[in-house]
This record gives sequence, C-alpha cells and structure tokens, in this order.
Amino acid sequence: MAKYIARRLLIAIPLLLLISIIVFLLMRAAPYDAIDAMTTPKMSEETIAAIKAQYGYDQPVWVQYFAWLGGLLQGNFGYSIVTKSSIAEQLAVRIPNTILLVLPSYLVAYVTAIVLGLVAGSHRGSRLDHVIDGIASVLIAVPSFWLAMLLIFVFGYLLRALPIVGMQTVGDGSFVDVLRHYILPFVTLTIAFLPDNLRYVRSSTITQITQDYVMVQEAFGAKRAEIMFRHVCRNVLGPVLTRLGMALPMLVTGAIITETIFSWPGVGPYFMTAIKGMDYPIVMAILILSSTLVIIGNLLADVLNALADPRIRQGGAR
Amino acid sequence: MSTMLGSEFSRRSFIKGAGATAATALLAAMGISATDATFAFAGDGGKTFTYAIAGDPSVSPNVITTGDRFGLMTLKLVYSPLWMYNADGINYFLADSYDTSDDGKTLTVHLHEGVKWQDGEPFTADDVVFTYEAIESTETANQYSQLVYDQGKVEVKKVDDLTVTFTFPIAIANAAEMISQGFIMPKHLYEGVTDWEHNDVNNTPVGTGPYQLMEYQPGQYLRFEANKDYFLGAPHIDQVVFQIVTNENTGMQAIQAGEVNAWIGTPAEVQQMNIQGNGLTVTPYSEGRVAYLAINCNRVTNENVRKAILYSFDKPAICNAALLDPQYYDVEYTFLPTISEFYDADAVEKYDRDVEKAKQLLADAGQANPTFTIAYDSGNTLTETDALMMKEQAAEAGITLNIQAVDPTALSNTMLDDGGDYDMYFGGYIMGIDPTTFAPLFESDANWNYMHWGDAYPEIDELFAQGASELDPDKRKKIFSDLQAAVQNTGAFYPLYSNKRLLVTTSNVTNIQEAGLVPVYTFEDLSKLDMQ
Repeated sequence: MAKYIARRLLIAIPLLLLISIIVFLLMRAAPYDAIDAMTTPKMSEETIAAIKAQYGYDQPVWVQYFAWLGGLLQGNFGYSIVTKSSIAEQLAVRIPNTILLVLPSYLVAYVTAIVLGLVAGSHRGSRLDHVIDGIASVLIAVPSFWLAMLLIFVFGYLLRALPIVGMQTVGDGSFVDVLRHYILPFVTLTIAFLPDNLRYVRSSTITQITQDYVMVQEAFGAKRAEIMFRHVCRNVLGPVLTRLGMALPMLVTGAIITETIFSWPGVGPYFMTAIKGMDYPIVMAILILSSTLVIIGNLLADVLNALADPRIRQGGAR
Repeated sequence: MSTMLGSEFSRRSFIKGAGATAATALLAAMGISATDATFAFAGDGGKTFTYAIAGDPSVSPNVITTGDRFGLMTLKLVYSPLWMYNADGINYFLADSYDTSDDGKTLTVHLHEGVKWQDGEPFTADDVVFTYEAIESTETANQYSQLVYDQGKVEVKKVDDLTVTFTFPIAIANAAEMISQGFIMPKHLYEGVTDWEHNDVNNTPVGTGPYQLMEYQPGQYLRFEANKDYFLGAPHIDQVVFQIVTNENTGMQAIQAGEVNAWIGTPAEVQQMNIQGNGLTVTPYSEGRVAYLAINCNRVTNENVRKAILYSFDKPAICNAALLDPQYYDVEYTFLPTISEFYDADAVEKYDRDVEKAKQLLADAGQANPTFTIAYDSGNTLTETDALMMKEQAAEAGITLNIQAVDPTALSNTMLDDGGDYDMYFGGYIMGIDPTTFAPLFESDANWNYMHWGDAYPEIDELFAQGASELDPDKRKKIFSDLQAAVQNTGAFYPLYSNKRLLVTTSNVTNIQEAGLVPVYTFEDLSKLDMQ
C-alpha cells in the first residue's frame, strides 16, 4: 500500500510542474496585466518602464517563471500587484474562513445525500422516490447566486431576521453573532452541494439493487434491511467515498460565488477581485493551489478506494 | 496628483494617484457604482458610521504610492493634505493660505499652527518638505509627474516651521492644483524608510487626519476611531467602519435592510429600490466625469462624414435613455465637465440633431449610406444603451452602425491602437480641475488621444500650450473657450453626459453637505458628518 501511494506521489510531481508551466504561460499569454491597469495618461514611458522593472516584468519569461517557481517552493506566493499585500499572508487568513464555511456544509450535504439517496434508490418508483428525485432535479438547476440572493431578500431584507454582510458585526464577533452571519451562506452551500451527490447515491443504489447478488439474497430469504445495510450500502459507499477525496479542492474554491455574495472573507472575493483587476500573481497562486488539491484529492480518492476494495490494492502493488 | 480609477476609459480597477486632484486624475470611472456605506452603533453607545466599500484597499496604505479608490479613502481619514482643490475651489487643511510670486513660479504656503500628529509630535514644515522630496525622488509616486518637469523639479524649501515655498521650474497657471490633495506623512516615523510599499510604519499609520486606523480585517472591514484632537475640531462620529461588500446586489439589500447605511448606486439600481419605504436619502453628486463617444480619425478620415454622424444623434434622448432622470446627470457639450469654471457650451458647435444636414454632408462627401462599427464595453449597460440609441438614430440619416460588445480591457487596448478595430467607441474620464490637465487626451502626440487625429489639428496643441503658461485669468478663459470649440470642430469627439454618483444613506446620517461630496473620497471631511 505504501509503495502504491509513493508511486502515485512520484507521478504527481511532474504533473504539478507541468501544471505550473501551463498556468504561468497562460497568464503570460493574456494580453493585459496589472501594469496596464496601473499606468495613466500622465506617465512617461520611463515611468512605465520603472514600474515594469519594479515587478520584474522586464525580465525574459523563463527568468520570471523560475523566480516565481522558486518562490512557490519556499512558500512565498509573491505580492499582489494591485494591493501590494503578501499573497501568502492573505491566503493564510482567507483559506480558514473558506474551510469554516465549506467543510461543514459539504459534510452536511454529503451525509444528507447518502441518506436520502439510499432511501430513494431502495424505494425506486415510489412516491417518496419521486419527491426526493424531484427535489434534487430542481435544486441541481438552481444557481447558487440566485438562491443566495433569494435568501438575502427573504431573511435579510423582508424579515430582517439575519444579517446579510460579512462574517461578524464589527466590534462584536461573539459566537452567536458569527453563527447568525453563518446561517445564510451555510444553507446556500449545503443546498448547492446536495443534489449532485444525492443523485449519484440514488443511481448507484438502483444499480446495485438490480444486481444478481441482491436477487440471490432475496431468494435465500434475507430481510430487506439486511440486504440494504450489509450488502448494498457497502457497494454503494465505496465509490461515494472516493467522491469525498475528489471534493478536496472545494476547500479552497468551493464557494467562490457564495462567498462573494455574502461578503464572506474567504478565498472567493479575493479571487474574484484579482481576476477583475488582472492581478495575476494572486490568480496564479490560487490556480496552483487548487490544481494541487485536485491532484492530491484524486490521489486521496484512489487511496480510499484501494482501502475499501482489496482488488485495486493488489493491482497497484503488482 | 495622478488619480485614475478603473474604467471603461481603460479598464482599470485601480486608481493610480493619491488624491483626486486629478490634476492628472484620470478616474476613468471605476464603475459608477463602487459601493459605499454601512452603519451601526458601537457597543459603548458611541456613534458608528459604517461605509461599505466594494473591495479591499491596498493593504499597505502610504501617501507616496497608494492609488486605489479605497486606499485613498483610507488615507483621507488618517492623513491631511495642505488643501483640497476641487470644482468648488480650494478647501484648506494643513495650510491656512498661500501666496503666489509675481512671476507665477513660487508658491509660499503658510501652515496651520498647533497641528499635532496622532502620536503627539508637532507637525512642522519639515514634514511637508520631507513628503514632497520623497515624491520627487520616487518615480512611481502618484504626484511625481506633476512635480517633475522636463525643465526640472519643483523645489520645496522650508522657510520657518510654519512656512514652505514651492518653486516651479516654469511659470504654471495651476500650480496650486498641482500640490493639492497630496497627503503629508510624518518625517519622524518615515525617515529611513526606503520601500514605501512594504514597511512597518504603514501598518500602524500615524497622521494628522480626523480618524485613526485601529484594525484591518482583510475581506471584512477597516475600523477607524475618532482623533479627538483633530485640528479642525473633534469629529462628530466616534467610529467609522469601511465594510467590504463586493457584490452590488448584496449592497443594495444591505442598505435597504439598514445593515448598510450609505452606499453608492446606479440610477437603475436606485429605481429598483424602495427608497421612501426604507427611509433612505439619495444624494447625487458629480465626480466631473465626462462620458463620450470617440471616432477614430484614421478610420473615418473625412471630417464632414464624422460631423454627419454626430448630427444624426439626439443627445438629450440618449442621456435620458441611459440615465433615466435628469437629476442623475448633466448633458455635456464640450470636453470639460459642466462643473468646470471654464466650461463654455456657447462657444462650441453642439451638433444638435439635424438629420437633413447629416444627409447633405454625406451626399457632399460622396458617402450616402455608410456603415460603421461602434464598440462598447461589454460590462457597461450605460454605454450599451447609448449605442442602441445611436444605432437607431443614425439609421434615420442613412448611416448603418454595427454595434459590437467588447471586453473592456481589449477595448481600451484597441483604442490605444492608431488603426484599431472599430470606427468609434465609448470612453469616460475624470481629469483635473484645470483644463490643461486634459492635454494627455487631446494633444496630437498624446498617448491617450483615442481619436488619433495625428497632426491634423495643431491649433489644439497650441491652445493647450498657451493656456498652461498664461497667468491672466481673462485671457485664460478666452483660450480655453477657443480650445473647447477647436476640439468640437474635429467632429471626432462627442461628449455625452456627466453621470453623477448616487450616495444612498439611511435617514440617521446627517450633515452630508457640511462634510462635502468630492470625487474619489466621497467625503471631503468626514469629521463633519453626523448621525442622530
């Protein structure tokens, strides 16, 4: 198993390097940058050249790439061109805020999806199944920004029951205060994460239930609940577990829209502002971070899968 | 002080330049709707004014290089300039007055007595000299280009503790504007600092302004507390919070729910809101921004054809379609904003709608039914409306306008290109108070001359040069009237409107007029604002 993981990790390294090159080149290929945004009509050519030199934009591309990569490896993500702030410092503040929002809502959505998916799948065609599947179909079509605005309008404006903006009231920051700010974005995200997983669990449950082994069990007179929990569940949850691993990048980029709408001080608004302001160092840092998490997440998914299914494990060790 | 906001003008989500003097200020309107204010009461029962802003300010605010709108708003609370120079004239802060020498080159500035830094140290002429010398030695400083000329630098000298002289290398009519809006930093703290953007002093700024920065939470808010010893009188409001609300719709709900108490909206947004029902007040104010249509002279080479296009337009109808209500805008007829003291619409050709004349001009030019492309910033609904109206109106004169929505950055870059991809496009700018500050947009060789008329109109360059060196007010008035006429005569520049920013406040916010509404900072002196 350790060998398997080690091998996967080794494969990940060239992949990450490749991603870093692609991200860097794509950013360089974009026709405009923050320097364009900083120059004004009054500036002379010399001043513009001085600004470029200050941010290293006058160097050859490969020099810029290695300088950037070297910084990344040392945990130095560079500075924002627009706000001049350290990107690592900003991310250190913002990523925990995002995780605080995404992790609980993803877990709640995940558990709810498993329960409802199993119930719906095992009662395929029943009224209950129709209701659950119907709700999932509607929710999957609901854009999260719209849902967020709707919640804000009803609970923030019409009922004045909950605050709309940010993570805390300035000068308060008590647990209850943060909790009140937490509810609306949390509900939005939970609803956003739910339908996808739900439909996945439901359809794999349906697939499993129609398998021969279920029929055999039934023929042997096993109870329905027994079949569900001892056999079907196991087979359904294996692949579902791997989805958990693949959800890892969500911890950074899982709530960009929702965070922006609620002014939640996470990665989302930071990323959005950087994109709008052509603040490439930030965009590159977040892209690298999230693509790294995609790779780690996939690795994690495979490992989880291997743990759950000995056949894969043995295949990997050969 | 070069200030520029992000824009349709050139898609900068960034203001370069501290100070809106806008002597060079090019606030190409960073959206007409950067958010503004919230408000709540502090735990101790003191007054708290929370102002919701649309994004984080530059984290390391310093008076030398900070140039974004929210960074400048932060500086405005903590620091003070010698004076503010806006459309309503001079408003003194650290200075009490200034005299100009007979040759127009030297300004002698008399400083306010008894001013103290927020750490208790006395403010003196040394701080002023130190600040301006730092600006002149930092090429990337906001005011650099206003103080360093081809003929040399402005010399800044201390006469005594309360007197400073600024000597310009050449006589310059708007010298007072050139040194306005520059915030003064404390010499005793910044002495020895070499990197203006990254240093510890920036993190705990000490100024002479009405508020002290207490706390900054990235992505959340900045919190300021009143400087009770503020030299122009203790602020009425104890605590000011800049709440960061990036989403416009969220801001709109937040102000209506009372969670946000002051906020900047567009006319379309304000019309959607229940202003009366929620006890809100809307205060429109001008940033002197001019929105215009530019025709690329390299692509539409015949001056009369350009004029024909302009005669086919109905400007008042376009303005009303885009901005809904005349209280939200001024119709513009020259390159200067209507609030400028040199604005002279009577001197210029206004191109009032005349379809027959347009047809005649086209027929004479041998281009009876021409086709042109008109490009607008795809994210800007105002110019989209402008373009649609123009297409419809031009059609009546037999002109076909193909409308093209273009990514704002791509648009601003193609506008810089002599040939470009489009015959005409929309832009907007906020420049300075003095007409000479508009030269970068209209002189023949100017980088930002989007009309690209090359050397076809030397008289425009001449008039700019005359205006810059002429010191007699009456003669200047005449020169700038001629200049406005000359620009209109090119048929390539079509000013549309000066749209106002709409400050929406909750009913408990008072003294808005006393605090003064100015470009970039919103409030000229927030210490005067009050709440019930």
